[in-house]
Amino acid sequence: MEAPSLGLTTIADTATTWGQVQHLTYAVKVLGVLMLTLLLSSCGVNEVVVEGRFPSPLLDKLPVTLGVYYKPEFREHEFFDEATTRGESDWVVKTGAAQVQMYNTLLEGMFERVVLLNELPRKDRVAEVGKQAVDAILVPEVNELQYSIPTHTKINVFEIWMRYRYELYSANGEQLADWTMTAYGKTPTAFLRSAEAAVNLAAVVALRDAGANFAVNFEQVPEVKLWLENTADRRATP
Amino acid sequence: MTRYQFCRLCCLGTLLFLGGCVTATVDEMVFNEPTVSLGESTVVILGRRHASDYETEPDFIQCLAKHITSADDSVNVMPELVFMNALYPWFEPRTAPMRPSDLERLLQKEAVQLKLKDMKTEYMVWIDGNTVRTDSAGSMSCGIGPGGAGCFGFGTWSNDANYEATIWDFTDRQEVGRVSTSATGQSYMPAVVVPIPIIAPVQGTACDGLGDQLLEFFSINY
Repeated sequence: MEAPSLGLTTIADTATTWGQVQHLTYAVKVLGVLMLTLLLSSCGVNEVVVEGRFPSPLLDKLPVTLGVYYKPEFREHEFFDEATTRGESDWVVKTGAAQVQMYNTLLEGMFERVVLLNELPRKDRVAEVGKQAVDAILVPEVNELQYSIPTHTKINVFEIWMRYRYELYSANGEQLADWTMTAYGKTPTAFLRSAEAAVNLAAVVALRDAGANFAVNFEQVPEVKLWLENTADRRATP
Repeated sequence: MTRYQFCRLCCLGTLLFLGGCVTATVDEMVFNEPTVSLGESTVVILGRRHASDYETEPDFIQCLAKHITSADDSVNVMPELVFMNALYPWFEPRTAPMRPSDLERLLQKEAVQLKLKDMKTEYMVWIDGNTVRTDSAGSMSCGIGPGGAGCFGFGTWSNDANYEATIWDFTDRQEVGRVSTSATGQSYMPAVVVPIPIIAPVQGTACDGLGDQLLEFFSINY
């Protein structure tokens, strides 16, 4: 039998039998795969696409039609943590889809009608926004984000802190209010199967907190309070 | 099997079934116990999570609920997450009522009042506390070689559990009882080739202690 053309053929011809060469080749391959796995595992990226279920708020709906515009950077929001040492992995946590899901559920439970808009309100686009008959337009954005991921903490407690900025525009693009609110989430249990699941849970807790803060304090923002009063007065006037 | 092997097996078995020692204390202060069965009314047990340095563990809350319902299935304990979702956003860590007077304010919201009526919630139990590892000592080294793997050494640590349960009555909108428990225990892990954990069930003991007291409060059979 002719030996296949491998780098080890010469050694096999002189010192070993064909069976030994096969074993050696197999061992080299296994070692290669192991090394590659180790290399990939130490330099890979841990990606977490945040997924969760968000409850509808138990509130009396405000009698207004709210337009909401999610900027592309909000819809596709993610944060990236670069590994600092060879043993660590990079982390990518994608929160965009989950936060859009949370805000859609929240706003639908807070306002009589919610209209999703495809573009930012601008003064020269009054007519277009006007056609949708909205009382105001809300534009949320992630203003700041801090986190501690497993490689930072070394313990099973993962934390996410976010600051949201909200802008409220009138239907003709005039800014009515601009305020910020914070949100915080921590993994509530140390017994999750993976670090990814724990990061996901911390993000879901932070989003729930963001929703609770927004729902409870929306009407307390002075400019919003004034706008709601004016809207009610306008409707009351025949 | 030689006599030596049999003895070794017996020792191993004893060590596995042996738990670390736990000491528990329970204090109770009850003002207004229900005199009749709760019937279809429900009880909800919630963990306090407003502090920045600790959170009451969700698994401790589940343990308490299981302890009560397994002892008396006539007591309806609503799962924590189901209650929080149904009343979102009013029982989240940042918005949850801290005092019975806050509850009064919350119940002025018609939607909340109707939901609680719909869920037949009669009592709410707030659990505040956690279990922490207080100290640890010892060392253990493990190795792997062509002949096999093994560990050698000895480790010990102690855990402290402190929990307080505050019972609120939704109908009277007031605090009707307060129970606290503290448990402390020492766990060991000797290792001669194989590490053998001898774990002190500190949180479990605290759960049993507090669960028994809550059972006495809510169940007419105890």
